[in-house]
Amino acid sequence: MKHSVSKRLALAGGIGMWLVAAVAQAALPPSAVATGAPDEGNPRLEAALLVDAAQVKPGDTFRVGVRFRLDPGWHIYWKNPGDSGLETDITWDTPGTTVGALQWPFPNTFRTPDGFIVTHGYDGEVLLFAQATASEQATGALNLSAAVNALVCEVHCIPADLMLTRSIPLGPTTLVDAESTPTFDAAKARVPRPVADTGHTAALALDVKQLTAGQEFTGTFTVSLPGGAAVPSSETDAFVPERIPGVDKLTLTQTAPGRFALKGKAEPDAPKAEPRLKGVLRLGTAATGYQALEVDVPMAPFAATVGAAAAPVVAKAPSIKDSLAAVKPVSSATKAAPAESTMGLGMALLFAFLGGALLNLMPCVFPVLALKAYGFTRMVRQEQGRVGAHAAAYAGGIVASMLALAGAVLAVRAGGAGVGWGFQFQEPLFVAAVSAVLVAFALNLFGVFNVGMDGTALAGKVDQSHGLLHSAGEGVLAVVLATPCSAPLLGTAVGFAFAAGPLTVLAVFTALGLGLALPFCLLVLVPGLAKKLPKPGAWMERFKQVLGFALLGTTVWLVWVMGGLAGVDGMARLLAFLVAVGLGTWVYGQSQLQEGGRRWGTLAVAALVLVGSGVAALRFEEAAPAARASSTVAQAQPWSDEAVASALAAGQPVFIDFTADWCLTCKFNERTVLSREEVRAAFTEHRVAFFVADWTRRDARITARLADHGRAGVPMYLVLSPGAPDKPEVLQELLTVDAVVDSVKRASECSPLRRQDGSKVLCAAGFPRP
Amino acid sequence: MKQVFTALALGSVLVGVPAFADAEVGKPAPAFTLKDETGKEHSLSQYKGKVVVLEWTNPECPFVQRHYQADTMANTLKGFDAKKVVWLAVDSTAHNTPEKSATWKKTEGFTYPVLQDASGATGKTYGAKTTPHMYVIDTEGVVRYAGAIDDDPRGKNDKKVNHVQTTVDAVLNGKPVPASTTTPYGCSVKYKS
Repeated sequence: MKHSVSKRLALAGGIGMWLVAAVAQAALPPSAVATGAPDEGNPRLEAALLVDAAQVKPGDTFRVGVRFRLDPGWHIYWKNPGDSGLETDITWDTPGTTVGALQWPFPNTFRTPDGFIVTHGYDGEVLLFAQATASEQATGALNLSAAVNALVCEVHCIPADLMLTRSIPLGPTTLVDAESTPTFDAAKARVPRPVADTGHTAALALDVKQLTAGQEFTGTFTVSLPGGAAVPSSETDAFVPERIPGVDKLTLTQTAPGRFALKGKAEPDAPKAEPRLKGVLRLGTAATGYQALEVDVPMAPFAATVGAAAAPVVAKAPSIKDSLAAVKPVSSATKAAPAESTMGLGMALLFAFLGGALLNLMPCVFPVLALKAYGFTRMVRQEQGRVGAHAAAYAGGIVASMLALAGAVLAVRAGGAGVGWGFQFQEPLFVAAVSAVLVAFALNLFGVFNVGMDGTALAGKVDQSHGLLHSAGEGVLAVVLATPCSAPLLGTAVGFAFAAGPLTVLAVFTALGLGLALPFCLLVLVPGLAKKLPKPGAWMERFKQVLGFALLGTTVWLVWVMGGLAGVDGMARLLAFLVAVGLGTWVYGQSQLQEGGRRWGTLAVAALVLVGSGVAALRFEEAAPAARASSTVAQAQPWSDEAVASALAAGQPVFIDFTADWCLTCKFNERTVLSREEVRAAFTEHRVAFFVADWTRRDARITARLADHGRAGVPMYLVLSPGAPDKPEVLQELLTVDAVVDSVKRASECSPLRRQDGSKVLCAAGFPRP
Repeated sequence: MKQVFTALALGSVLVGVPAFADAEVGKPAPAFTLKDETGKEHSLSQYKGKVVVLEWTNPECPFVQRHYQADTMANTLKGFDAKKVVWLAVDSTAHNTPEKSATWKKTEGFTYPVLQDASGATGKTYGAKTTPHMYVIDTEGVVRYAGAIDDDPRGKNDKKVNHVQTTVDAVLNGKPVPASTTTPYGCSVKYKS
């Protein structure tokens, strides 16, 4: 009551503010009120610590806040002050009470007369408040204090530093403070609510696919209600943006109720995370009443321009520059570079395509490839016209399974779990299933049973639809096997995809698939090439059987992966299951020679053997073989952020090996580079602390660390210098002895222990270009 | 690899963009010719070949006062090679006069000129919004930094990163600038209206 009276009086302007304030504050202890920002002796700001409870029960929740009253014409600032000014800061010191995040009522927008400087804040009166919870153990009284730091501006500005304290008695029940509660409720009504809570849907469509450093961009932002209910029209300055790292000069202008034209400009430096449209939006007008919403929707990935004179050193989303540096020879880089804005996506697609083609040569895919080539040779001789169809089926199988993988990635990512390339090999059942398919395939090649061919098919007639399905199936298998062989170029392209929007992810995976299918497309498109394939003959049967052994070899690797996932027991279970698979397929093969009822009987036995053994054997406990030495490198310690920090604090350079058992590139690097004598000697000489981050099984901390450096999968190698611990050097995915030795040497020279001349700047700037 | 990018970067800078609107990092700095508090003319072009630091200032602003009490600007300048770096303060306050600047310079005892921009023309060309608002221009006349003097708006941190210092050091050593734009803080520039 007193409040509304005092407000009206203040608005009328007839009586000075301070007199009114004194009346309204009759109930407040003197320590809870202070004035600040003296302007020639006249304070421009009065602040009071308000609590909406007169007595609090331990464990209960209540509200605390600071009410600001300003002389007419003066204002303080919102959390994003705008072009100038300073965020109003309240620091709580409340032993026995936990205070939550500060709630900011919707701010006003202030402009200088020429409109050149735009700021956001509050004039008149405002309450900035927070939820508070008294500890269950609290006794006596709650002592609350708030240190306020505010910048108070009219035309000129005066900083105010105020300390407000009061104490609230504890008691058996929480008693509402009737005087201040309406003030809190009124402030709360002005605080924007998340769109999800209000039932609105917010959507942003940018006119660009990505933000390019230094470039302006536009888009359309819409707010809608379910069922198409009308969204009220807004006033000017209805949208106030928060500070969005990487984005400047962001405005929303209403074009129709609920529809806004967005304009903004990307800053020269790439931000650490993909920019999001964050801010507060007030629907309605003074006449209709307001509803304030909190907006937080994704914008678009950020691409740094190649032409920018100042190359930012700060961590950033993987840009094309990184991709180029990681993998491409100079010549093609020069050609590709001038494309500017769309280049980020275009180059990522190119790399995905090349990476896909390269995957054909990886040991995990090659057996399938050889198998396909063998089948292909036969087809060319037998049925010229259908080669195209088979190649298309194979490519289709690859692209479809790539897209399925992309869909799975998107689904899991939307669910909040961090996933990365090769993630499916963290699932024991998946590994078991792939092993079983490989063994069955191998036995098929040995002639134990035949797929899709009854007796007559042996004569060489391939059933058309079945044959095409077979080709598609081989495409699927190629993808399944290819994922852990993250070829050197692939990491960057996939990393780019994971940091990007859904469409980009789909596009990159499609490009990967097309690359993987490339060799066969080539064979079809170039007729002469197909003719050059060797003539069929008895060698083909032998070759087929040799390929069967190659598949068994791949199975050995999978069994070993299973060992990493589920320990020795898991390996044994998998092997037992594989034996059952062999038995099942053999029985099935026998059935192919039989007829009628007996045949069905045998088939039933085969199915029973498979299902029974599967149920019995495939129960994997997520064994934690913590003691297992997952690296072949000496002196390796398990990775953790804390261990790294303490090593750095001790002045040691740090080398982190992000690896996984199923990652062949990782194992290759460990065997051929990291365990070499020269590398060990260099590690010893420079006192390098060597950490292994093992991603064989899911580990959110490692996934997060990979994402920090724009990677979605292993391997990744980081070298940290104690001289510049926040600027790790990321090594190439295919290590060389020289690269490793040089990097740890550089890191060591940057160490404060060894630095001679104390030239800090040179070291911090000279050590790493990530 | 790196050479290619440097070449590309330089190429795109040399091809250049006509100077208009705000001073943007990576683009040529808008040209200006302004008189200092003694009436002597300074133009950006005459300092080509040196790194130029521009400091938008206003002695009436508490943020500027805080930095002058702590000698932030003078100490930053002291850390640079005087042959390679020029420091120019610019006052775009509508009601400022050369006499006020001269008095202030005498009381604070600094040496660099205070350019007189009471019309606000240069300030608005650069997009200067706050006092202090800092710009660093390299030897080729390209803006390399725009933003705050340091990362401590409230003046309460023990450790501060002086953005002008890190930028100038990086530019002189041919290194990338760690943070080329930051959010400036302080009073608004009191432009003529």
